[in-house]
Amino acid sequence: MASLAATGPHQVVITGMSATSAFGRGLGPVADGVLSGTPAFRSVDRFDSERCRTHVAAELPGTPVLSDELAEVIEAAWAAAALGNDHRGGCPLLLALHCDPAAARDPGARQVTGDTAAAIGGRCGLRRLPRIYVAACVAASTAVIDAATMITTGQASRVVVAAGYLVDADSFGLFDAGRALAGDGQVRPFSAGRRGMLLGDGVAAVVLESAAGAANRGVPAVATLAGWGRSGDAYHVCQPRPDGSGLARAIGAALSRGRADRSQIGYVNANGTGTPFGDSSEAAALHAALGPYATQTPVSSTKSVHGHALEASGLLELVVTVLALQSGRLPVNAGFLAPDEECELDLVLGPERERRGRYALSLNAAFGGANTALLVDAA
Amino acid sequence: MTALPATVATAASPAEPRPEDGVATGDAVPAEDAVPTGDAVPTGLVMLARAEWPASPDDVLPAIPGFVTSSFSPLVAEVAQQCLRRYFGTAPADPALGERTALVLASATGDIGTAAAIALAVDEGRRVPPLLFFQSNPNAVVGYLTARWGLGGPVVATIPVGDAMADAQDCASLLITDGDADAVLIILADQARAGDERDHGVALLVGPRSWPQATDSLSFPAR
Repeated sequence: MASLAATGPHQVVITGMSATSAFGRGLGPVADGVLSGTPAFRSVDRFDSERCRTHVAAELPGTPVLSDELAEVIEAAWAAAALGNDHRGGCPLLLALHCDPAAARDPGARQVTGDTAAAIGGRCGLRRLPRIYVAACVAASTAVIDAATMITTGQASRVVVAAGYLVDADSFGLFDAGRALAGDGQVRPFSAGRRGMLLGDGVAAVVLESAAGAANRGVPAVATLAGWGRSGDAYHVCQPRPDGSGLARAIGAALSRGRADRSQIGYVNANGTGTPFGDSSEAAALHAALGPYATQTPVSSTKSVHGHALEASGLLELVVTVLALQSGRLPVNAGFLAPDEECELDLVLGPERERRGRYALSLNAAFGGANTALLVDAA
Repeated sequence: MTALPATVATAASPAEPRPEDGVATGDAVPAEDAVPTGDAVPTGLVMLARAEWPASPDDVLPAIPGFVTSSFSPLVAEVAQQCLRRYFGTAPADPALGERTALVLASATGDIGTAAAIALAVDEGRRVPPLLFFQSNPNAVVGYLTARWGLGGPVVATIPVGDAMADAQDCASLLITDGDADAVLIILADQARAGDERDHGVALLVGPRSWPQATDSLSFPAR
């Protein structure tokens, strides 16, 4: 049971954020991409995919360097939160990262990813040793929840959460071998005929702090993290529980913590990987958690346009969710072909749809049956 | 199934918790670690069980179905199940307790065996072996454990940059403070990186004093 109230002076607010995706660097390109529903997938040119079944991903042009991209979004989020250098030293940094491919090629290395993380923190002046979350598709959302708990309990007044994944040959070859990638080159969440996911670059950073701290600084909140929940399926190595009961528990905890009624949810940014059983399980979870409102609550998976950013997906999608609240318009669930009776949801199938309810949910689920739900309120 | 060059504790694993695991004796929380607001911090946690692998030089890791090439997942599974057996007996756990038990897996190396196998296939221009997809993330073996033992709490996997046990304890404390779990199975696991090293794992089950068989002999430091 969620035990902490997310209200009062320790209420958690977002005061700064930034993101980079295949749409480009900064919030504008990603907002334009998800609100227009224009997929960013193209033929990969960062490495040779000749031996793979699939040849597309959502990539930034060229060969971006993850540590550079992370430092850039952290600095941008820090600046957006109107924070100066004097705030940097004691601020915790929580990172969600895909394991560094360099570690696999250096038999003597012990902590390549850890060293990279420490270097990023040092580069940004965040000198407290970072923690790196690697729990697959819930890594970043778990980091956000831990940050929120640290703030709510007063263990920290401000936390930077950053996450990054850039499509690389190892992960592309791995997901291709697992037949997880959509052979038709399009992610089709919750649609009949969906054939899987596609990978995409994603780098994001968010500054979370207490509402009181932000108010004392005179800095307006971008959004409020009103609630959160997490759960385990206790079901399977890599498949979600078909009835969605694990994810439904996480949603219920988020609503309970935020004292939100399920009728007040105006948008759900779904995990929606486009895999057959993953999406049907998530639809079942939404029905279990939202009851009669499940078919009346707008849902989209923006993985359909920016791709799956693996460990970074939870943070990129939180940023997208906040952008949706700010704009009042809903991101599009692209790639839809036809309804699937196992996914009876109110999907956002075109641009210019307006948000009506007060809150938005950002959902993530991962291998091992790990589930998270973030409840976001417009500032 | 590839034979694994590691070991399994049979009966000789140390059953008693040890202070060097970073679990403080006594109840005191250092003033510098105290939470300034006094909000909902769990101060009544105790260690419920502990296991370490290897316990003897002859220990060999048993393979687990569906996991190949690397000893990482078998290491995690073995040390975790030794710990769980000491508290719960045979799988699954008592449902009332299991559904409130979370899991934290901290590994500085991660599954370097699987990562190296993937990299080798890519670098040699071969297709990646499909089974590696399922075991490539630490969540996979965690799913194996939580499904087998009925552990329904949240799952966290980290690469700790500093003191691994302290970092994992921080994660566990946050999970319990957060209210989505009452107990946490903490697993530290690192694969050998050199010929004279061995894989090594430690598992601790920490929970509230109100749970069966809990004693006050070792307290978990709330942070």
